[in-house]
Amino acid sequence: MSEEKPIIVLENVCKYFGNFKALTDVNLTVQKGARIVVCGPSGSGKSTMIRCINRLEEHDSGRIIVAGNELTDAVKNIDAVRREVGMVFQSFNLFPHLKVVDNLTLALKLVRKVGKPEAREIATRYLERVHIPDQADKYPSQLSGGQQQRVAIARALCMNPEVMLFDEPTSALDPEMISEVLDVMTELAEEGMTMICVTHEMGFARSVADQIAFMDAGEIVEIAPPSEFFQNPRSERTKLFLSQILSH
Amino acid sequence: MSALAGWGDDYFWGAMVILRLFAVSLIIAVIIGLIGAAMKLSGNRLAQTIANAYTVIFRGTPELLVLLIVYFGAAVTLTAIVQSFDANVKFIDIPPFWAGAFAIALIVGAYMTETFRGAFLGVDSGHVEAARALGLSNFQTFVYVRIPQMWRLALPNFGNHMLSLMKDTALISVIGVEEIVFVAEMATTVTNKPFTMYIVVAFIYLCITTVITLAVMLLEKYANKHLVGGK
Amino acid sequence: MIFEFGLIFGSIPKMLTGLGLTLQLLLLSSFIGLVLAVITLLMRISGRWFLVAPAVVYIYIFRGTPILVQIFVIYYGLPQFEFIREGVFWPFLREPFWCCILALSLNAGAYVSEILRGGVLGVDKGAQEAASALGISKTQSFIYITTPIAIRLSLPAYSNDIISMTKATALASTVTLLDMTGVARTIVAQTFAPYEIFISAAIIYMVIAWMVQKGFGMLERRMSRYIKATR
Repeated sequence: MSEEKPIIVLENVCKYFGNFKALTDVNLTVQKGARIVVCGPSGSGKSTMIRCINRLEEHDSGRIIVAGNELTDAVKNIDAVRREVGMVFQSFNLFPHLKVVDNLTLALKLVRKVGKPEAREIATRYLERVHIPDQADKYPSQLSGGQQQRVAIARALCMNPEVMLFDEPTSALDPEMISEVLDVMTELAEEGMTMICVTHEMGFARSVADQIAFMDAGEIVEIAPPSEFFQNPRSERTKLFLSQILSH
Repeated sequence: MSALAGWGDDYFWGAMVILRLFAVSLIIAVIIGLIGAAMKLSGNRLAQTIANAYTVIFRGTPELLVLLIVYFGAAVTLTAIVQSFDANVKFIDIPPFWAGAFAIALIVGAYMTETFRGAFLGVDSGHVEAARALGLSNFQTFVYVRIPQMWRLALPNFGNHMLSLMKDTALISVIGVEEIVFVAEMATTVTNKPFTMYIVVAFIYLCITTVITLAVMLLEKYANKHLVGGK
Repeated sequence: MIFEFGLIFGSIPKMLTGLGLTLQLLLLSSFIGLVLAVITLLMRISGRWFLVAPAVVYIYIFRGTPILVQIFVIYYGLPQFEFIREGVFWPFLREPFWCCILALSLNAGAYVSEILRGGVLGVDKGAQEAASALGISKTQSFIYITTPIAIRLSLPAYSNDIISMTKATALASTVTLLDMTGVARTIVAQTFAPYEIFISAAIIYMVIAWMVQKGFGMLERRMSRYIKATR
C-alpha cells in the first residue's frame, strides 16, 4: 500500500470562523482503501475537517490535495475533487421534491451527462446495494430515517467516487435504525471503499476502522489503529474523552 | 423646498391629518382585532361564524369599496333615520375623517383578528401546561406566560398591518378629506407641476413607513432578546 | 331603511360589464409583475452591489408608498415632463389604463420579488450542500433544487398577493376607468343606493378572491405531494 500515492493529503490546514480557530495545523494522509474514523467532542472540528475535503468549507491556509488535485479557488479543481469524493450528511439532505430514484439520477444526468435509461439503471443497482430497491418511486418524506440515509449513501455511490465522507451519518437517527445504516457502511468498507467517517459509534469504529483519529479543539490529537487507540491512548485528552463516552 | 412654492404648510397639516387618522384607526383596529380573535377562539359557534364572516368579507373586498360603503352607506342610513323623525331634513353629512377611520379600522381589524388568533395559538402549549403544573392560576398563566410570548409572535405581522394601514390612509382623499393627496391636487391646479406635487406625497409616505418599519424592527429586537446569544 | 334586493340583482349584470376591465388589469399586471419580480429577485440575490442596490431601492420605494399615490404620480405626474409627452411611450402613458397597469405591475414586482426571496431563503441549505457535494454547479442547483422548492414555499404568500392585487385594481376607478368599482360608482351616482350597488360589487370581488384562493390551494396541494405523504 505505502508505495501508492495517498488519495487525500492535508498539510497544516487551518480554518477560521471569524476569530474562532476551527482547525489548527491539521495533517492527515489517507491511502487508497483506508478506513478512517474521526471522533472527538462536539465543536472539535471533525465536521469542519471533512467538509474542507470537498470544499463545502474553504480552508484558510495549508494544502489539501485530493486524488492529485489541490483544492484552491480554481473551480475546475473543485469539480474534479467533488467527482472523486462522495459525501453523506448527518441530516441526509435528500432533495425533498424529487422521488428517490430522481434523487439518485439528478447528478448523473447533470454532471456525468448520463442518459435517462442508463441513469435509472445505475440508480436501481445502487438502491439494491443499500437494500431498498422497492422504494425507488417514493418521496423521501415517505421513508424512515434509516431508509433516507441509505438513499443518501446510494446517491453518493452512484457518482462512483474514490472516497466516501460520512459526517455523523447516524446521529440524526432513531436508535433502532442505526444498525441498518452501519451495516451498509460496513459492507462498503469490506468492498474496499476508501472512507473517512465522523461518528460516535465506537463499536463501528472498533470493527471497521483501520485508523481512528481523535480531534479536540481543532487539532488531530492522536491517530492510531483501533486496538492501540482503545487500549493505550497516549494523550490525556483522548483518555478523558474515552472515559466519558465509554462509561455507560 | 422652493419647488413647493409655499405649499409646505399645507403638506405639513395634511401629514398631521393622516397621522391622526393612522392613530385613530390603529386603536379601533386593535380593539376589533382582539374582539375578533376572542370570538374565533371562544368555542361559541355563533360567535365563530360571525367572526369568520367578518374576516372573509373584509379581506376579500377592495379597500376602496369598503370605504365607499361605510361613507355613503352611513350617510344614507343616518339620513333615513333622521328623516323618520323630521321629514324636513334633506341630507345628513357624515364627517369623512371618521367614516375613513372607521372603514380603515374595519379592514385592518380583519387582518389583526387573524394575527392575534395565530399568536394566541402559537404559544407552545407545553409552556401553558408547565405553568399550570407549577400551580399558576388560569389568569396568572395568561398574564405571565401567554401575553409575553403572544406579543412577540404577533409583532412581525402587526408591523405589516401598521404599514398597510398607513398606506390605506391615502384612500380617504377619495371622500374629500383634506390630507396630503388632496393638497397635491390643489397645488397642481395652481402650480401646474403635478409630478413635483405628487412625488412630495410619495416622499412623505415613504418617510412615515420607514419610521414605522424601524420602530417595529427595534421592538422585535427587544422582544427577541432572550432568543439570541444561544451560542 | 329599505334594503332593495331587486336593486342588487338588477345591478350585478351592469357590474359585470366592468368585470372584463378588472380582470384585464389583474391578469396583465400580475403577469408583468411576476416577470419584474423574477428579474428583481435575481438582482437581489446576485451578490453584486450594483445589481443589489437598485433592486433594494426599487422594492423599498414601491412597498413604502400607497398604490393610489403611485397611480397619481404616473398618471397625473409624468405629463409634467416634456420628454415624456414627446417620448415614444406617450401613447401609452396618456391612457389611464396603461398607467394603472404600470403602477400595479411595478407594485406587484416589488412585493412578489420579496415573496420569492422568502421562498428561496426558506429552502433548506442542506439540499444545496448535497448538490454541491455531488458536483452539481451553482446554476444547475438553483434551477433544479432551489427553484422548485422555493416556488412551493412562496405559493401561499403569492396567492394572498394576487388577492391584494385584485383589490388594488379597484383603484383604477380613481383615474376615470370603468372597472367594476368604476361602474359601481357611476350607478351609485345615478341611483344613490350605495349599499345595494357597492355590496353587489363587493360580492363579485369576493367571488374572485375565493376562486383565486381555491385555485392556488389546489395547486399547492398538487405541489406538496412530496411532503408528509402517507407511509
